[in-house]
Amino acid sequence: MFGHKAKGNYAYAVARVKAKKAYLIGNDTYQKMLLMSLPEISRYISECGYMKEITELTSKFDGVDLIEHATYMNMARVLRSILNSTNGELHDTLAKYLEKWDIWNLKVILRGKSFGLDADGIREDLIPAGNLDSTFLNKLVSLETGEEVLDHCKNIGKVIPVEVIETYNKENNLAIIEDFLDKYRYEQLLSSINPLSKPTQLYQDFIRREIDITNIETILKLKMEGVYGNNIMKYIIPGGKDISKKLVVRLANAETLSATVDDLAQLSFYEDIKEALDTNTKSLKDVMIGMKKYKMKKTQSFSYLHPLSIIPIIDYMIRKENEVNNIRIIARGIESGLDKDIIGGLLVI
Amino acid sequence: MPTSNITPTRSVLIELKKKVKVTKSGYKIIKMKRDGLIIEFFDVMKKVKAMHGSVTSDYEAAMTKIAIARAVEGEIAVKSAAYALKTEPHVKVSSKNIMGMTVPKIEANFKQVNLESKGYGVISTSAYIEEASNAFEKLLDTLIRAAEVEITMRKLLNEIEKTKRRVNAMEFKVIPELEESIAFVRFRLEEMDRESTIRLKFLKGKDKGEAA
Repeated sequence: MFGHKAKGNYAYAVARVKAKKAYLIGNDTYQKMLLMSLPEISRYISECGYMKEITELTSKFDGVDLIEHATYMNMARVLRSILNSTNGELHDTLAKYLEKWDIWNLKVILRGKSFGLDADGIREDLIPAGNLDSTFLNKLVSLETGEEVLDHCKNIGKVIPVEVIETYNKENNLAIIEDFLDKYRYEQLLSSINPLSKPTQLYQDFIRREIDITNIETILKLKMEGVYGNNIMKYIIPGGKDISKKLVVRLANAETLSATVDDLAQLSFYEDIKEALDTNTKSLKDVMIGMKKYKMKKTQSFSYLHPLSIIPIIDYMIRKENEVNNIRIIARGIESGLDKDIIGGLLVI
Repeated sequence: MPTSNITPTRSVLIELKKKVKVTKSGYKIIKMKRDGLIIEFFDVMKKVKAMHGSVTSDYEAAMTKIAIARAVEGEIAVKSAAYALKTEPHVKVSSKNIMGMTVPKIEANFKQVNLESKGYGVISTSAYIEEASNAFEKLLDTLIRAAEVEITMRKLLNEIEKTKRRVNAMEFKVIPELEESIAFVRFRLEEMDRESTIRLKFLKGKDKGEAA
């Protein structure tokens, strides 16, 4: 119909994703990997689909850095290949979801520029898994200053408001730009979802839960530093699912972490973080792991529903990212000499 | 001072007595300084021991936290967060005086900054990176304080050694030699007194003999 965009090639994309899903590393394999040495892990993941990237990067990196860069490169290629194989509304929705990697790359470039890092140093840390391809990212990297980078981003529709730029220039604090970009991304993502069908509604709920988790993480992080009240509210991303604005205000106004426990108890993921909150009030490590595991659990709970929708594709993307994270956790943990139990506890399986 | 170089006169004797008096009071002061330094050393040593414990525990905590942050968030994210930091630690070195000895006073010219002012985004920077960053800030602060007490302890040890050598030199060399010199001058003066008395007596006897 004139003015309407095609829905997209769901059947093809889902079939591709299902085939790829079969190659993901199984949960029980991570326990085996915990007993391997770094070269064994490199070899093992080469046999699990990372061969091309490992071979490509061998001359540049070694050891655990090779594993980290190769897995990221593989993930970027896989995610972009899925994005490029889709069309219509499906492509647009996935592109919006993968924009998080564009924001990541933008932050890496801005941080590198503010530090005075050379172009090669910045390029090394980019993960081109989003909409922006390597050519565009290289163009951004080649620009002289952070201001030029932000200015160039206008070409792709990322316009940073003047007042944000002014505050950044006044305070010389990149955090202002970064926080704006994070909030902007979620706002754009939520507004791009049309929750008319059940699958898109589920997808919207998933994103809104992610916002809830991000907000709770922000509140807890700031609480640990003794920040409360309005100072917290400015970092809250609107649009969460389970956490009402009233509850956010109450959580933000609580002066200590322990004072938030009663309010946190109302949340659906409280059971996953309860133990961590009770046992260690000085570190958020276990709370963060609890929330990551909750997010994974939620994804798994709806991944089998609506086979011809965006859900299986998003589910695969999350699983792929999780696989890369788990491989890195094991490799870095072994390299740092962390206890096997600690490494095992960090894995999201 | 070898006795052969001393002229046995009353003025030299007075001079030597003055010297002994001054040396003995100096000896007492230096001995008190040595004792004071030793007391100070034990105080500083307690602090150093405590600091060593803090450095070890803070180092282990920081290394564990950075290892976890590198594992969970990845080296790239940790490195990138480090690039965003806008505060740099500065160290101010001045000096203070302990019993006439100059020791360095090292002050960390930085405050632990909270998440909002670090330079990286509050929303997206993970708690793992933030905890590692805080642990390293704490470690840096502990290391600076440890450096101050460690240098103070080393300087105190050197000063105690030096003062001990001075005390020993005064006790076993300077004062005995001065006392020996006094004894020598006194003996020579008495000897000279006796010689002149005998000489006078002899002259008196001679005069009486001639008169008779």
